[in-house]
Amino acid sequence: MTTDNKFVIEVDHLTVSYQAKPALLDVTISIERDQLVGVIGPNGAGKSTFIKAILGFIKPDVGIVKINGQSAQKAKGEVAYVPQRGAVDWDFPITVEEVALMGRYQRIPWYTSPSGQDRQAALEALEMVRMQDFAERQIGELSGGQQQRVFLARALAQGSDILLLDEPFAGVDAATERAILDVLERAKQAGKTLVVVHHDLSTAAEYFDRLILIKQRLYAYGPPRLVLREDLLSKVYEGRLRIFSDVLAKEES
Amino acid sequence: MYELFIAPLTETYFQKALIGGSIVAMVAGVVGCLVVLRRMAFLGDALSHAMIAGVAGGYLVMKLLFSLEAHAPGMLLGSLIAAVTTVALISFVARISRVKEDTAIGIMYTGIFALGVVVVSIFRHYIHIDLMHFIMGDILGVADTDLWVSAFVAALVLTVLILFFRHFQIATFDPIMAASIGLPVLLLDYVLTICVSLVVVSAVSMVGVILVVGLLITPAATAYLLSDRLDRMMWLAALFGVTSVVGGLYLCVWLDSAGGGAIMLFCTLQFLVVLVVAPKYGLLARWLRMRNLIPQQQVEDILTTILRYEKPTPMNILYQYVEQDKGLKKAVLSMIGDGLLVEAPEGFSLTEDGTKEAGKVLKAHRLWEAYLESIGTPQEELHPTAHHLEHISDSSTVDYLDEKLGKPVRDPHGQSIR
Repeated sequence: MTTDNKFVIEVDHLTVSYQAKPALLDVTISIERDQLVGVIGPNGAGKSTFIKAILGFIKPDVGIVKINGQSAQKAKGEVAYVPQRGAVDWDFPITVEEVALMGRYQRIPWYTSPSGQDRQAALEALEMVRMQDFAERQIGELSGGQQQRVFLARALAQGSDILLLDEPFAGVDAATERAILDVLERAKQAGKTLVVVHHDLSTAAEYFDRLILIKQRLYAYGPPRLVLREDLLSKVYEGRLRIFSDVLAKEES
Repeated sequence: MYELFIAPLTETYFQKALIGGSIVAMVAGVVGCLVVLRRMAFLGDALSHAMIAGVAGGYLVMKLLFSLEAHAPGMLLGSLIAAVTTVALISFVARISRVKEDTAIGIMYTGIFALGVVVVSIFRHYIHIDLMHFIMGDILGVADTDLWVSAFVAALVLTVLILFFRHFQIATFDPIMAASIGLPVLLLDYVLTICVSLVVVSAVSMVGVILVVGLLITPAATAYLLSDRLDRMMWLAALFGVTSVVGGLYLCVWLDSAGGGAIMLFCTLQFLVVLVVAPKYGLLARWLRMRNLIPQQQVEDILTTILRYEKPTPMNILYQYVEQDKGLKKAVLSMIGDGLLVEAPEGFSLTEDGTKEAGKVLKAHRLWEAYLESIGTPQEELHPTAHHLEHISDSSTVDYLDEKLGKPVRDPHGQSIR
């Protein structure tokens, strides 16, 4: 099976449980490279477990996760992670440049300091998200969208082909959402595969090339028009589907 | 002058206190930065209290097995074991029961502290530990072994922190990212805890159980108010630790007071001073920022007053019409700086930008009047109420009012909205 050229993330029959309750059940999925992939599903659907599995943090009950053909637990650092905004202490004494430089840490041996080359790479990553003018700022002084972009720069500086983003659009206004999406698009054009946990079904079809719909099981994976179907969504979201009726209407038209 | 500053320096006890105190305070400051940023201050407190059981245990074992009296390395090892055991028990209880971590810390450290107190009092004929000394510390009676122990601990802890600075930085700032690039986050946690324990253990003999936490977190917190980079914060914390010891020791000699108390008092005063005067995060800076902030409402009032006056407006007219006339001059000056106004001998007039801004507020005002009339507000209240509401002039609100009212051309007073 020589599929590692086409697929960057391969999940095969993955089951993960917490105290006899399955967080993920028999999930099999292969994600192609150069895609902008959205992960959708209700709260408690196992989205964060899915992310942890890709980052190689959990030992599955059954199944394997492969990153670029290599077991996820061994492929540390091949997936760059962008945390949720709420997970970061914005008062931490650290500048924008230092955050971007963190992306290089995995390449710097413990006995040396970051080289000029590392600093250069960090600055280039900041330029890519148009944050180079803020390099000396403390991260708490930035707006929400700028903060998100700095963490994207850090992920880009890691040089990984796969970027994992945990709700990058949570709590930002519409204009900022556009700006972030713009950076994601450019990262994709630069040959990155982006996996994005997303909450807002109404924008999912517009933003992503492919969607993953999970709730413990994998319900669908494919282009948005094949995933955002009423029968599938009603199964996954149960009673809460009425909120999304406009999403479906938009899809049909 | 000589009496005050130089004379104490010639005393051996003062020299030892100065050297030992500075070493301990410096390394405590550096480690303290990570303690503060990880919100582990309470854990530092726990470690220092739990130590007494370890000291007693170490003393007892060395005495009973090797008949060595007050063997310093034995007690040091004992306290380290006690500290690590306490941390292990805390995380065990917090993990397996529904008791949360802060409560678990409280239970475990008082429990182990109590065990230490009981052991010391039962074996009071074997162990010669002065509990008061342990609680209050005795920096003026620093023994040579204490000096060597603290120098060794400082060298070890600083080496670890400098070598693995980046690892500790990232594991503190973003543990998930740290784990995702393959750093042993849990191991780093343990190493840090051991470093904190070592520092606490070496500091207790000087400043005592109660004050050691202050030495750990106060210089670090002081530095936190002054720096936006972790490496700088650590330098400053070390510096503040040393100045606390120097200042505190002089204070103690001059006032003839308790050494540990004087040091922590000086340290706290130092923090309070920085809290007030810090250039960016200080209270004074905050107050100045607030004071220099010109209320949007005042700016908009000035704009509309000049627009309505229709010719260059002198200051007294502004004082008459602008609701909030405090700081009016400053507001006008800052608006000139922002390019909203120009000043001429006969008064102030609007620039192009100013006219645009004023027009926006005026449109909002008239739309609000029209809206208020439509919901049945009495005529005489239309203007004053709209005057408050006009400051809600963002485009989505204005558009909503415009739509809802069917895009009116004139307001209730017959003035043009378009």
